[in-house]
Amino acid sequence: MNVSPQRQARTPSFAERVSERLIGPCRLIMLRTPIQNVVTWCGSFHSAPDMGNKEELLLQHLVVSMLDKGAGTLDRFAVAEILEDKGAELAFSSDVLRIDFSGRALKKDVTEVLGLTALQLREPLLAEEELAKAKDRISASIKRSMESTSAQASGALRRRIYGVSHPNYIEEFEERLEQLQRLSIDDVRAYHAAHFGANACTLVVTGDVDENAVNEAVENHFAGWPSHEASPRFAETPEEHAPGVSTVAIPDKENVDVRLGHALAIRRNDPDYIPAFLGNFALGGNFSARLMQTIRDEMGLTYGIGASLSGVSTEYDGHWQVAVTLSKEYVQRGVEETVKQIRRFVAGGVTPEELQEKKTTVTGAFKVGLSTTFGLAKTLLSNVEQGFEIAYLDEFPDRVESVSVDEVNRAIAQVFVPNALHVTLAGNVREGDVKRACP
Amino acid sequence: MDIPKGFSFEEASGGVEAYRLEDNGLQALLLQDATAPVATFMITYRVGSRHEPEGLTGACHFLEHLMFKGSARFNKQAGTSVFNVLQRVGARVNATTWLDRTNYYEMLPGEYLPLAVEIEADRMRGALLQDEDMERERTVILNELDRGENDSIRKLFHAVWAAAFTVHPYHHPVIGWRGDVERLTPDGLRHFYDTYYRPDNATVSIIGDFDKTEALGLVHRHFGQIASPEEALPTMHVCEPAQEEERRVVVRQAGWQGAVMVAWKSPRGLEADTDALDMLSAILSAGKNGRLYRRLTDTGLTTSAWGGISRFCDPGLAYVFARPAPDKTHEEVEAAIHATIDEIKENGITEEELQRARNQRKAQAAFSRDGSFSAAAELNEAIAAGDWKIYTTMQDRIHQVTGKHIQRVARKYFVENACTTGYYIPGYPD
Repeated sequence: MNVSPQRQARTPSFAERVSERLIGPCRLIMLRTPIQNVVTWCGSFHSAPDMGNKEELLLQHLVVSMLDKGAGTLDRFAVAEILEDKGAELAFSSDVLRIDFSGRALKKDVTEVLGLTALQLREPLLAEEELAKAKDRISASIKRSMESTSAQASGALRRRIYGVSHPNYIEEFEERLEQLQRLSIDDVRAYHAAHFGANACTLVVTGDVDENAVNEAVENHFAGWPSHEASPRFAETPEEHAPGVSTVAIPDKENVDVRLGHALAIRRNDPDYIPAFLGNFALGGNFSARLMQTIRDEMGLTYGIGASLSGVSTEYDGHWQVAVTLSKEYVQRGVEETVKQIRRFVAGGVTPEELQEKKTTVTGAFKVGLSTTFGLAKTLLSNVEQGFEIAYLDEFPDRVESVSVDEVNRAIAQVFVPNALHVTLAGNVREGDVKRACP
Repeated sequence: MDIPKGFSFEEASGGVEAYRLEDNGLQALLLQDATAPVATFMITYRVGSRHEPEGLTGACHFLEHLMFKGSARFNKQAGTSVFNVLQRVGARVNATTWLDRTNYYEMLPGEYLPLAVEIEADRMRGALLQDEDMERERTVILNELDRGENDSIRKLFHAVWAAAFTVHPYHHPVIGWRGDVERLTPDGLRHFYDTYYRPDNATVSIIGDFDKTEALGLVHRHFGQIASPEEALPTMHVCEPAQEEERRVVVRQAGWQGAVMVAWKSPRGLEADTDALDMLSAILSAGKNGRLYRRLTDTGLTTSAWGGISRFCDPGLAYVFARPAPDKTHEEVEAAIHATIDEIKENGITEEELQRARNQRKAQAAFSRDGSFSAAAELNEAIAAGDWKIYTTMQDRIHQVTGKHIQRVARKYFVENACTTGYYIPGYPD
């Protein structure tokens, strides 16, 4: 199948196509693509909360949720009007150690919306009358998580694996609700003053980019943003806990979410990462991986099962988890069969054919994932956040292709330990329901 | 480009070209987009839960699952299962069933487009639909159903639609009633497959980076040999009787965060009144200058509130959904929703609100061309509603909507006897 004539020339590498410069403290990365009139951006900076003090994360959530409630001389409606009149999108979120921001606008509106982005980050009003409403919204969000079997099972697993000061730890939802009520507007403003600054600030802009205009907007609005003085305080490694089972009983939830997982002594930049990633992918990365093929396709026990390397970064360790949903009557059997498949996989490893198939899946999916302006911007930003050069993205498919079966099977044997698996369940189950299945 | 042999050109609109395979009536839509070396292939069958009679609810969705269990040339026994073959090349592959349609799609590197065309053609008439696969898949679907039942808001939506429609199949959830899913038979599914999976009931869409002549050649090569049955497609004539009084439903389930949904009957997706209701929905719920935010959320009555409109083959629902703030009651929220609507019925909307909604739609139209899948998803719903050109002409349609039209549809459709109200009242587990 031929692609269009304009595509037949060799696609230049990211390193060749990307324009990159430092503007004040802000690293600006731009990538023009042939799309017309649409520009997307993703950015982040280090907020460096003290992970040992869980109030700080809640304060970070509160600040983020109040960024769109007025900034500079603009009240909340004036801020919204700038965006809504243009159909532009702008979002802020708290990603534990960082604050993320992203947006999308028509080409003619980009500079104004980027200016608004900076204003909201640097000079939010954080008005006292908005605090109660912000608390209600966060409270509602926490309560929705309490109703979610998926959120409850994942939270329980993380509490079994990590200590409270690890970035991947998730606090009990009830505790967060209580803490939230104690926070004052002074606390919120103090957190903003101490943690919002241009530390490791990166902005990636993709699409129909007018580079001069974006340069100028970043010069005008981000270049003078001072850094804050907070330094990151967090545990880099999980805590040692004996494997066990946690159950979160939620009446009326006949689908039970189950997580099996353990800590991983591996970082994103370790040589073993890509072999472990490929091994995990062969086990539970997609529909044609082992777990979906056996537990769903052959046995019909679940609608969804998958495995992932979760919360792994270059800064701290993460964990390995298998997530499966099971109707109440299949919980016992589902967990037993899942553990059996994991053991079989770890003992036998992957076959050469299986690995080759997963390699082409991963490299093909990488290409597909870069087909939107958001996909490009997010991938470029994540790459920078992990501390990699732009060229890493060009090299990634070759790095995947060069991994051998022995490397993958060595990584599987070293990294994945069935006897170390914790099991957590959330739904209409009682404690002890899967005792016998616990590895 | 010369029109390839076997095709007739139908029309072009907004960059999309429509062709039809002369021998069997299959429609093909082409939308070129060379921004990335990726293409999306999608086949939309004009069959959904709307076509399911009582006792066969969930059949379309069940069939969608079985379509991945193998076809004549692509099956697990031969080592060529659909997922294996497509995911091997990095494709995002899946299918969805909805009220008026079922679609199967592959988003993949452009050079593998032929593979997607070949697979979809093979399973259009060659699906194996084996009894043993059906039994294994039944428990998978029942788990999917349980997952959905875990979600109180999904249950609320189902309850409101079920109460609002008493005769029309929009009454039942797409996944089906549990009792039906437990009892569906292979013969029932096969009958559904034989009745609706045919070239003249399908549209293939190719979006992304491809050569047009080659793409049509592929469609001809793989789909051209499939004959459409001589029997005419069954027509659906179920008409929901006029609602004569307000209806109310309550969903109770363990949880902590309640919800209110107020819904009114709305017209067919292709009608101009639906465009006006669509714009009204945007004015109600678009951001902080939306009416609902200002009246409900900014005042601390709700933590979120938004409106929506269905654009289906048959009349559907326009609705407002809201989450009460912690110390507020469902009744207070419901009253505020009605007050917001009544204000528009009485005083209309401002020119500024209308212009803002138009600008937002203009930006969304540009955003919808960002990536081949985004365009495919919108085309899919337009095909299902009855005219793919809704996707390409939406800007013109909404520009014809005036403030007076919006006030008129608010008065016409948002009336008490066409209203169905649903509460989700959470119980508090210990």
